[in-house]
This record gives sequence, structure tokens and C-alpha cells, in this order.
Amino acid sequence: MIGAAWAVFRKELRDALRDRRTLLTIVLSSVLLGPLVLVLLSTLVAGIEERAESREIVVAGIAHAPTLQNYLQRQTYRILHASENYEEQLRNKRLGEAVLVVPEGFEADLVRGDAPRLELVLSSANPRAQAAASRLARLLHGFAQEQAMLRLAWRGVSPASLHAIEVDERDLASPAARAAQWATLVPFFMLMAVLYGALHAALDTTAGERERGSLEPLLMNPVSPMALVLGKWAAVAALAMFIALLSCLSFLPGQWLLRSETLAAMFRFGIGEGAMFLVLLAPLAAALSALLMAIAIRCRSVKEAQASATVLVLLVSLLPLLTLFNQEGEAPWHLGVPALAQITLMGRVLKGEPIAGWELALPLAVSALLVAACLGFVARCLRGAALK
Amino acid sequence: MIEVRGIARRFVQGSGRSARAVQAVDGLSWVAGDGCISGLLGPNGAGKTTLLRIVAGLVQADAGQVLVDGIDVATQRRAALARIGVLSDARGLYPRLTALENIVYYGRLQGLSEAAAEASAHSLAQTLQMLPLLPRRTEGFSQGERMKTALARALVHDPHNIILDEPTNGLDVPATRALREALRRLRDEHGKCIVFSTHLMQEVERLCDHVLVMARGRAVAQGSVAELCALTGHDDFESCFVQLAFGGKSAETEAAG
Repeated sequence: MIGAAWAVFRKELRDALRDRRTLLTIVLSSVLLGPLVLVLLSTLVAGIEERAESREIVVAGIAHAPTLQNYLQRQTYRILHASENYEEQLRNKRLGEAVLVVPEGFEADLVRGDAPRLELVLSSANPRAQAAASRLARLLHGFAQEQAMLRLAWRGVSPASLHAIEVDERDLASPAARAAQWATLVPFFMLMAVLYGALHAALDTTAGERERGSLEPLLMNPVSPMALVLGKWAAVAALAMFIALLSCLSFLPGQWLLRSETLAAMFRFGIGEGAMFLVLLAPLAAALSALLMAIAIRCRSVKEAQASATVLVLLVSLLPLLTLFNQEGEAPWHLGVPALAQITLMGRVLKGEPIAGWELALPLAVSALLVAACLGFVARCLRGAALK
Repeated sequence: MIEVRGIARRFVQGSGRSARAVQAVDGLSWVAGDGCISGLLGPNGAGKTTLLRIVAGLVQADAGQVLVDGIDVATQRRAALARIGVLSDARGLYPRLTALENIVYYGRLQGLSEAAAEASAHSLAQTLQMLPLLPRRTEGFSQGERMKTALARALVHDPHNIILDEPTNGLDVPATRALREALRRLRDEHGKCIVFSTHLMQEVERLCDHVLVMARGRAVAQGSVAELCALTGHDDFESCFVQLAFGGKSAETEAAG
């Protein structure tokens, strides 16, 4: 049985590796896409950072407010005059800054002690301008405080009496946990790499054999159906793990390309994390391979099997969204659901959180059960499938 | 030697109300001897393929017994399969593997070592005149090239019993002749038991030592071509076959000898 399964394994692996075009598509889509998205993301973050560092603000009518102008210049900001059509520019996102509008008579109102109104123009549909708006608001708050303190001092009141309480912020998230917000993409791409690595080979070794008419002669050999199924499954799972390994390796150089220094510092994906990912993904690769084979053995052609497998592909790609939308954090049952368990645990590896022994064992046990059930089913269906 | 004893098999087609039972093989007995090419002749739907699938253990019979060199196929399927080489109706190859790899794969599944399987593949390729095909991928093979590869694959473990389901389908004249020549050599030089299913009269006349005529799942007659012609009183084997298979002779008729 072992000898026959080994022969099947070698043949299926050789067969799959000769399918260069399919292999190339899988490698390109699942191995290059992840790092590519990561680099694009880092460019976006780097852009926001650059804007945060550039000390420029856009003002319309600064001539009406010499005191404010003095304050801004003391804070080493460069004041840019807003163009006539700044509203339109904000709307179609060509302007990446919020615009401060100073009304006429601002200075006179300020001197008189009235509270003059300033207008902060932004578009919440324009994320770059929105980031700039909060910076501008903080700046104006500083100006208002300075003015208030000057007035209090003028009247002989201690500015400290204004501060009834003091608030200090303490962020509990470690740098690694903050990085994980951006890095949730990485486990998702790994998951898809495993799935797409297994998909084609799983369909080809089952529905493909039926379509070619090679299953019936195959069963005329003195080999038990289980040995055939085991060899095929091992080849499919090995291929899925190979793609996962490539995908894992591709993220290592991928992060060197990160343009944002903050993101690069926050995104922790080293050899250790990569190895842990592979350990977590191995049972999933085994389970998905068996599941895909069980789906495909019922189908007469690869095309039909692809249609049936779409449901599984969709399910696996939607599961990560559950962790994204779920505000309540992870529940224990997440670890009992294949794919969801791996996504959850990979996320924790990235956050640098510890994983207990049972948390590794539970997904492993679920996967093992699934593999046993699916392979038993495929072996039972094999003879009937050959004849229909 | 292949002995078929009182084999019967029913299939149910469709489901629910439209379900219809078909008696594919109906109490058939027959012996294919060693050193002999036995022809299995019958119109479409006569049950030839089902019978051959039962012999290969792919379909289980409802009743009866099949013995391959004395081994019961139903109870010792793997031992029996090691003694049979089957070229079935479906003869798909793996297009990304070379002809040699296709043949060696089956050799490995039959329990041969890599070297033994390769040696066997080469000697079969010589017999079937397909040596230049061996290093080529089977993708884009012609019908005849595919057939030769599938035949070599079925025979790689040098089985004593050879079952061929319509092997000349789609072959051109030279390829058919080469196949016929190869089968004769296997019979005469190696004393193999060869079973050959077809619906071509010409093939049977030229090749078969013994013929089993099947219709509606039953054996309607068996014997040599000459005996069957004598039985029906026709000079022409085709007329003889038409009378046997469609001529209302439902009772099994055993020719003398």
C-alpha cells in the first residue's frame, strides 16, 4: 500500500509540476500579489507621513489676521495662499490639505475680545485632507490657548487655574499590535496561496482523471483505492505547502521594499514568523486538499468541478472578513473552524502574542478529522466515479 | 485462463418513477483458454463492456463467479488483477507525461521496480513498433499512438491473461495489422489467454480461435468461426452473426466441439 501510494505521489507531483502555465499563474497571483499590495500600502502610508511632516498650511485671507499669522510663523509653518477654486479642488481630491478661511474683521474682533469665527474647510471623502484638518485644528487650538492665557495674565489670573484636571494618554498596544492592523493582509494572502496551490491539482487528480478517461484503467491495477487516494492527496497537499512556502518567502524581501519607515518598523515578519506560519498552514493545506478532492470526485469534468469548488473558495476568502468586522475580538470557537483558526492564529503570531499548546492542537485535530472523512469518501466514490 | 460461471448483473437507470432496470448480463457462462484468442462479439448494448468490467473486478456481479487462473475475482481482486492486463474502453493517458512515464507508472502500480518497469516498457515498445514514441509526451498523440501506449501500459507487468475492449477502434489499416500481428505473437510465443471484444466481423474472422456471440446479456452461441457458420448454414460470417445476434434465437446454442 505504501509503495503504491508513493508511486502515485511521485507521478502526481511530476504531472502537476509539468503544468507550467498553471503553475506560473498560481505563483504570479499568490506569491507576487501579497508583497505588491504591501508595497502599495506602504507608499500610501509614506505619503500621509510626508504630509504630516511638511509644515505647510493653506489659508484664504491671512491678511485679515496678523496675530494668527505671527503665531503660525512662530510655530515655523509656511503659509500658502489658497487658490480661488479650492472647494472644487478639495472635492475632486486634487488638494491634499484642509483650507483655513479667515473672515474680514477677524483681527478687530480678536482685539475687542469677541470670539471671532474661523472656517476650516475639508471634505471627509478626501482622506489626505482630513488628516491635514486634524493637524490644523490642533494648531488653532494652540493659538486659542495662547490668546486665552495672555488675557488671563493681563487680568492677573494664574493660567494654572484653567487646568482643573490633567489627562495623560497611555497606549496599551505594543508597536507589534499596531503593526498587525496593517499586516492582517499577510495571513489572508497566505490562506489564498494555500487554496490556489491546492485547487488545480486537486481537481486534476480527481475530476481530471474522470474527464480524460484515465481513472478506469488506473483502477484496473492491483492497488487499493485508498492507496491511490492517499498518494494523490499527499501530492496535492505538498503542492499547496510549496506555494505557501514560496508565498512566505516572498514576504521577506517584500518588506525590505516598504517605503514607510514607520510601517517597516511596525511590520514584523521574520524567519521565525514565517516558519510559524508554515506550521500553522500545514494542517490547513492538508484539509483543503482533501476537501477539494471530495468535492471534485463527484464531478465529471474539471470545468464542472471548478464551478462546485467556487463555493469553498468563496467561503475561505470570506472568513477573514469575519475577523475584520467582528468587534468583539476572537471567540474560542474560531479555532475550531478551519481557515478561520489559521487566520486568527497567524494574526496573533504577527502581533507577537503567545499561542498555547491546545490552541495549536485544536485546529490540527479538526483538520485531521476532515482529512480522514474526505479521503474515506473519495476512496469510496472512486470506483463508481470511474464507471459513470 | 478465464472462467465465467453463471454471471448476472442488473443496473437501475434513472431514479424515482422513471427508474428502469436493465439486465446487462444474464446468467452467462464461458471459458477463455490459454494460448487462444477468444472473440467477444455482439451488437451495441449486448453487455460486452459490462462483462469485461466484471472480469476485471470493476463491477460486482449479482450472481455467479469469475476465476482468473483459478483465482476468484470477487474475493481476491488484487491477486486476480495482477494476472490480467486490461485495455478498457476508456484508455486515457496522462498528457503531460511521456509515453515511457505513462507505461512505467502502471508498472510501478503493478509492483515492478523502476528498472524492471522500464525494461518491460522498452521490450513492449519493440513488439508494438513504438520505440520512437517513448520519450515523447503523449499530448498530441494520434489515435493509433495512444492505443499503442495504452496497450503497452496494460501489458507492462507481462500478464498471463489479456483483455482488450474494442482495441482496433480508431486505428488505421497498418496499425490494425501491427496490433493483430502482435496479438498472434503473444498467443503463439507466450501462450497467453487473450480476450478480444469487438463488433467488427473482419477482426474476428482473421484473428479469433474461439468466438462468443452475445446478445441482450446472454451468450447466444460459441465456437470457432467455421463452426458458427456451419451451425447457421451461412458461408458469410456477417450473415451468420446477424442471424445469431438478431435472428430470434434466444436459447443458448452450443456448437459442437
